[in-house]
Formats: sequence, C-alpha cells, structure tokens
Amino acid sequence: MKCELAQEQIALIVYGELPDDKVHLLEQHLAECESCRRELEAVQGLYKAMSLLPVEEPSANLIARTRLRLEEALDSMPHGSWLLRLSQKFSQGLGHMRAAPVAASVLLVLGVGIGGYAGFREGRHIHDSDQAKLIMQSAAKTGGVTAQIANVSSIVQEPNTDNVEVSYNRLVPETIHGSLDDPQIRQLLLLGAQNRINPDVRDDSVGLLANECRAGHQCTDGPIRNALMVALRYDRSPNVRLKALEGLQPYIGDDMRVRDAVLETLMNDKDATVRTQAIGLLEPVEADSSVRQVLNTVALQDDNPQIRTVSRQVLDQMPQIQ
Amino acid sequence: MSVDALRLRIPATSGLQSSQRMPSQARDRASENELIREAQAGSRTAFDTLVRQYDQAVLRLALHLTGSEQDAQDVHQEAFLKAYRYLGNFRFECSFYTWIYRIVTNLCLDHLRRRKARREDQAVMIDSSGEEMDLLSNVSDDRAGANPDRELQRKFLGERIREALDKLTPRERMVFELKHYQGLKLRTIGEMLNTTEETAKNTLFRATRKLRMNLAELR
Repeated sequence: MKCELAQEQIALIVYGELPDDKVHLLEQHLAECESCRRELEAVQGLYKAMSLLPVEEPSANLIARTRLRLEEALDSMPHGSWLLRLSQKFSQGLGHMRAAPVAASVLLVLGVGIGGYAGFREGRHIHDSDQAKLIMQSAAKTGGVTAQIANVSSIVQEPNTDNVEVSYNRLVPETIHGSLDDPQIRQLLLLGAQNRINPDVRDDSVGLLANECRAGHQCTDGPIRNALMVALRYDRSPNVRLKALEGLQPYIGDDMRVRDAVLETLMNDKDATVRTQAIGLLEPVEADSSVRQVLNTVALQDDNPQIRTVSRQVLDQMPQIQ
Repeated sequence: MSVDALRLRIPATSGLQSSQRMPSQARDRASENELIREAQAGSRTAFDTLVRQYDQAVLRLALHLTGSEQDAQDVHQEAFLKAYRYLGNFRFECSFYTWIYRIVTNLCLDHLRRRKARREDQAVMIDSSGEEMDLLSNVSDDRAGANPDRELQRKFLGERIREALDKLTPRERMVFELKHYQGLKLRTIGEMLNTTEETAKNTLFRATRKLRMNLAELR
C-alpha cells in the first residue's frame, strides 16, 4: 500500500468509515510504516482537539421562541402556499403530458358521454322544475330546510336589529331573511358554522351564535352549544375559535362538557391568544380540581412565557376566589 | 504499532444522540409517511407535527454551524417555510429526513458563503494570538471543568478551533460538521449534499488536512 492512499484511509478509519477489509490492509501497512503511524496519531489528535468545540443543545427557551416565530410566519402565508400548491399541481400535470394521446381519446369519449347525459338531465330538469319548486317550498315550510341545502354562502346582519340575511345554496342559490331567533335562521347558522370552504362564513355564523348565547337568547338547547364546542375544538381559524370561546362563557360554570372543552383548549390550542382567553374564562370557575390541574400543567409547560405567568397568577389567586 | 490502538475507533461524539433523536426509521416511517401525505393535502397540524420531529436537530446543527442564535433561528425559519412551500414536490424517493436536511444544508451553505465573502471583504487577520500552544497534543480526555484555568484554556481553544473551521471552504465545513459534530454517515452526507459518497470522503479528507494545517499555524 502506498503512503498516500494510507493517509486518506487514516482519515476515514478515525471516523469509522473504512470497510473492514481495508482496515486489515491498513493495519498491515501501519505495522511497517513509521510516518503513517505518526499520521494516524496526528489525525486522532485532531479528532480530540476538534471535540473541544462542544455541540450544544439549543435551550428550551430558544426552541420555544423559534417555534413561535415559525408559527407566526406560517400563519401569515396560508394563501400563498395554497396557490403555489395549485401551480405545482398544474406543472406536475404538464409533466404527465407524455400520456397526451391516450388522455385525448379518453377526454373525447368522456366528453361525448357527459354531453349525452347533460342533454338527458336538462330535458328532465325542465320537465320537473315546476314540481321541484313545489317540493322545496313545502319542505321549507315544514322545517325540512336542511335536507335541500347544499351550503351557506354568506351571512349579513342588519345594523342595530335582530335580523340577518343568510344566503345559502340549494339546487340554486337562495337567500332567506329573518330574525336571529327564527329556528330556520338558526338552523342555517349552524350549517354555516360547518362551512369548510369559506372561513368568513364560519366566522360570521359562530360569532352570531356566540352573541346569542351570551345574550341568553334561547341558547339552552344542545345543538348551538354543541356547535360552539365543535368550533372551539376543531376550527382552523383562531378567530372563529375565539368567538366560540366567548359564546361558551356563560355555561362554563354549570356545564361540565363546556368546562372540559375550554380546559382542552387551554392545553392544546396552537394560538396563544386563544389560550390566554381560555385562562380568563376559567378564572371565575370555583377551583375544581381538573381546572387546577390543567392550570398547573400550563403554568409549567406552556411554550409562551406570558401564558405561564398568567396561569401561575390565576392559580395563586384561587384560594381567595374560594 | 499496536493494532489494538488502531482498532480503537473513536466514536463520533454526537452520532448516537442524533440518531436517537431522529425517528427510528423502520418503526416510524409508516406513520411519518402518513403525516407527510396529510400535510401535502393541506393539514397544518400534520405539518406542525413534522416540524416538531425535526426542528430541534435542525436548530442544533444551525446553531453549531453559525455560532449565533439569531442566524440559527433564521436558518430554521427559512428551512421550514421552504419545506412547507415545496412539500407538494416531495415524492417519497428519499427519506423525509434527507429531504429536510438537504434544504437545511443548502441554506447553511448559502449562509457560510455570505459570511466568507464578508470576512474576505474585511480582510481581518484573525490568528494573532502569538501564544505558544500545541493544540493537537495538548488535549486531555477528562472533561470535568473543575479547574478554572483549564476552563479558560478550553474556551480559548474553542475559539481557535472555530477560527480554523472558518478557514475551510463552505462545502468542506459542511461535510466536516455533519460527520464530526452531527455524527452522520458519509453516505447520508453525500445524499444530502447531492453528491457521491466518494466525493464526501475526499472532502472530509481535505477538511482534516486543512484543519491540521490551520491549527498548526496557531502554535
């Protein structure tokens, strides 16, 4: 073995990257070559010397700060990423153009098929439309409004009144006008709270339902409270979750399920404002053990130092509240 | 020459730690792929979970490479924003670990290049200590820092080492960092840097050569 090759392998053996068969050859060479043995010692010395610059673990504080910064940056870019993903999908689609001839014939067959079917449906639709209108009207009168509704598209409240205008899609888009206390309107607001496409509609629906609850307008029934709890737990928009939280405020004392939902939010919600608001809501609750326990956990483990401090303060005040 | 001394390969200091921290592949690969698919479909929660699996290791690497919390935070943020933006392009052809590290190492290389350019502009001579010190033989194995003199000396040595590292090319620095300090296999390093294992080996060899020269200059 030449010394030049041996020296390259010495750097590898020190880092455990030399295959076993080559280790054997290198050992033989080292046994007879003084200068390469010195080289090995020098490289081992370098290894030890370099280890004097320790690899430090990032502190918990730094990790928390960095995560928070990233989350804020991610929150501010959801739209861009969606568009980007769409454009990527499009460009990937272009990449598949090699299959264009097959795709073209498939499209042709599909087009003919869809055309034929659409003509058939259109004919039937014209024939049945009068009858359909009658069915829809009667369904609306009997409160079977949900069965005909595709989704809720917008909600506008008239200023200083109890009235709202809810637009929703049936087979054709429609608009309904009425008081917030109207069961049909409420039904639509509940549907709006589940609108997965338009966050503004969810925001409006949950906001109005929450206001009704806080004002004590017939909110004792289950569905509205449930809808608020579902929004609090699962809605992707922090704004909607905040509104749901506000709406649940009056029931936190009496309803264990509401209290559990708020505690869960305090433990798990990603948004610091929502968590802070949750602490505020828990304050008046007489110190039940689960509230204490959660506050304790949050005071110790929350990523956000402010939330930790506030939970600690609330905990400290609890004996006086009792 | 005692063959035993040769066989005693020095374990990479942080290799074990980092492999423990990275998800143990066989067990977690399936659930990780599931997470990636959910994140590709637009789930922020799934993406956040992915971030939390890797961000500590990314931060540790960036912190050691840049030596600055601020720079490390910048690299971390830019890396995961990029990952979020281009997650749709991830095709499961390599592991997610390699993919995310490819992004991180590219950003770190950019950072090192910019820093090197700034340094050369300033044309500052750094190695002006003039102190007599044999770095390569003066290292003892006990790391207990009871003696303040020794602690001070260690700190001084640490600075000298950083200076020696700064004289490497960004690529040499990166390979050395990933091998020596992060304990990765050269094959993985090759994949991350879009090159072959052979090139990574040569780069490591060049880096160790240069480091010895740079440290010897400081004697």
